[in-house]
Amino acid sequence: MRSADRIAGAALLALAIAFSTGALKHYAYWGENGPGPAFLPFWLGLVMAVLAATLLVGALRSRDPGPAWLPSGDGLRRLALVVGATAAFVALLNVVGMTIGTVLFLVVLMRFLDRQPWPLTIAVALAVAGLNYLVFTRWLHVPLPAGPFGF
Amino acid sequence: MDFLANLSLGFSVALTPFNLLMATCGVVIGILIGALPGIGPPSGVALLLPLTFGMDPTSGIIMLAALYAGTMYGGTITSVLINTPGESASVVTCIDGYQMALQGRAGAALGIAAIGSFIAGTIGVVLLMLVSPVLARWSLAFGPPETFALLLLGLTTVTLLTGESALKGYISMVLGLMIAMVGFDIISGDPRYAFGVPELMDGIDFLPVAIGLFGIGEVLAGAEAAGGAAILSARYGWRDVMPTAQDWLRSRWAIARGTVLGFLVGILPGAGPTVSTFLSYALEKKVSKHPEEFGRGAIEGVAGPESANNAAATGAMVPMLTLGIPGSATTAIMLGGLMMWGLRPGPLLFEKNPQFVWGLIASQYIANVMLLVLSTVFIPLFVRALRVPYGILMPMIIVFCITGAYSLKNSVFDVGQMLVFGVLGYGMKKLGYSPAALTLALVLGPLAERALRQSLIISDSGAGIFFMRPISGVLMVAAIAAVLVPTLRGLAAARRRAASRVA
Repeated sequence: MRSADRIAGAALLALAIAFSTGALKHYAYWGENGPGPAFLPFWLGLVMAVLAATLLVGALRSRDPGPAWLPSGDGLRRLALVVGATAAFVALLNVVGMTIGTVLFLVVLMRFLDRQPWPLTIAVALAVAGLNYLVFTRWLHVPLPAGPFGF
Repeated sequence: MDFLANLSLGFSVALTPFNLLMATCGVVIGILIGALPGIGPPSGVALLLPLTFGMDPTSGIIMLAALYAGTMYGGTITSVLINTPGESASVVTCIDGYQMALQGRAGAALGIAAIGSFIAGTIGVVLLMLVSPVLARWSLAFGPPETFALLLLGLTTVTLLTGESALKGYISMVLGLMIAMVGFDIISGDPRYAFGVPELMDGIDFLPVAIGLFGIGEVLAGAEAAGGAAILSARYGWRDVMPTAQDWLRSRWAIARGTVLGFLVGILPGAGPTVSTFLSYALEKKVSKHPEEFGRGAIEGVAGPESANNAAATGAMVPMLTLGIPGSATTAIMLGGLMMWGLRPGPLLFEKNPQFVWGLIASQYIANVMLLVLSTVFIPLFVRALRVPYGILMPMIIVFCITGAYSLKNSVFDVGQMLVFGVLGYGMKKLGYSPAALTLALVLGPLAERALRQSLIISDSGAGIFFMRPISGVLMVAAIAAVLVPTLRGLAAARRRAASRVA
């Protein structure tokens, strides 16, 4: 936790400084009759810098390494698989379409993350993809991304 | 009496078949979402919000409000049967609820929670109905300085939501405000922090952020662990669920106290149902004649907090509807929904959209009755839903998150944004930051900036304008106190620790 606090404190501090200086550099701090677009961002960056510095100093002072914040071993593998599969799904959304993407995504996670039996996996995947299509595309008229076959 | 006229207008709206159906769907889905561990009320509302875009806003809010009430009860089922809170407002219920279940009294625990929720919810709606118009009329006199002071108070008290570390709560809140700055400036029209990306020029919508932080964030936190938890089996016949005369005698005042306490805490901007349950539990333990039974299955320990969280969920609607300031993370998301529907929450809502406000209030009565019926008769059905393995549930939730984020603007960019915030939400949850504070700040940020700049434009004494007007002066002092008191207390505690280390 402490090392996570150090990293977070340093990153937030850098972000805050960039945020404030960026605001002053690119936007007007004061307009014709009042505060301009840079006014609030500048002060927000300043407040964040103070908060981040407090976090960083507190974390640097503490000797206690704190508990691990990323899981290790199996937990990390599972987490990476879920994030990776989701990212791939999102990246391919406009290529394979929502319906086919949903089926593939559910099959991958249910079968390879959780070892659910094949029949159940297929049934759930088809049901979720079909229901999603019916509710959004047909009922609510929100066209979900379509794949090569038009759904 | 225009009061009764308003209420009958409300019931004429709420009792249309479609709105009744929406309230029923809301309660059922709410109980399910509340019951499933790893997905709580804010995710539920964020996920269902896209479904309401095609509807009339009144039907939409009726469903979301019914869902919110449902989640408050659904979380109880999980707390009692698995000893894992289904959502954060049911954490306290685990203590005595699970003990009761171990003693074979799961039915009684769920029954008293349902009855307490019904009483608290119903009294809460009556209070909502009485307090809101008065508050709305009073806040009509608000100018930009008062609005800003109130928003500032809402933002500073949000750290009450977090509990763990005030510093991390404030960091989350300021980060949310910084994200709110992205996009066209409301007054000058300059695109800020857009880096030439057209999607960023329109600003970062709160909905993909909320779905990511809550939906994906919670799912990822649950994804680490394999397998599910053991569910206690219990009997849920009519006789098992109805409280005995003795249960009732012990619980009635706990329910009454929980209701009043919960409603008051709910009205406070920032402090929501979760805070109210902790306070109610502490209060019941203090006033009880047999405090030693708490932690060993005292029914008051279930009845009080469960009543408090339902009353607080209703109370949280008061500042959202009358002032446009949400009282909890969930109402912050509802508020975002109201703004998307083109409604401007605040004092004028009561005058301009009476059918919306009164339809919502009337539907809350109906939702409470449905909640009581569903939660006593259909408990076994909801328990069965708990047996769905997480490995099946989790990918389904992710699919709904993606669909929800996409459907807002039919934009894959939004979906990517949701995923980024999902990973951020996971990290925030793990490291003790507050996704709720970030969401609240993102929703309130643009409103606060506009009020701040308008105030400074009309002011001829700089920031003095906030302190020289009576209402805004009081609110500003309260906001400053909300920051200073925990900070000073934290410093004092640190000094004491340092002193004891030296000694």
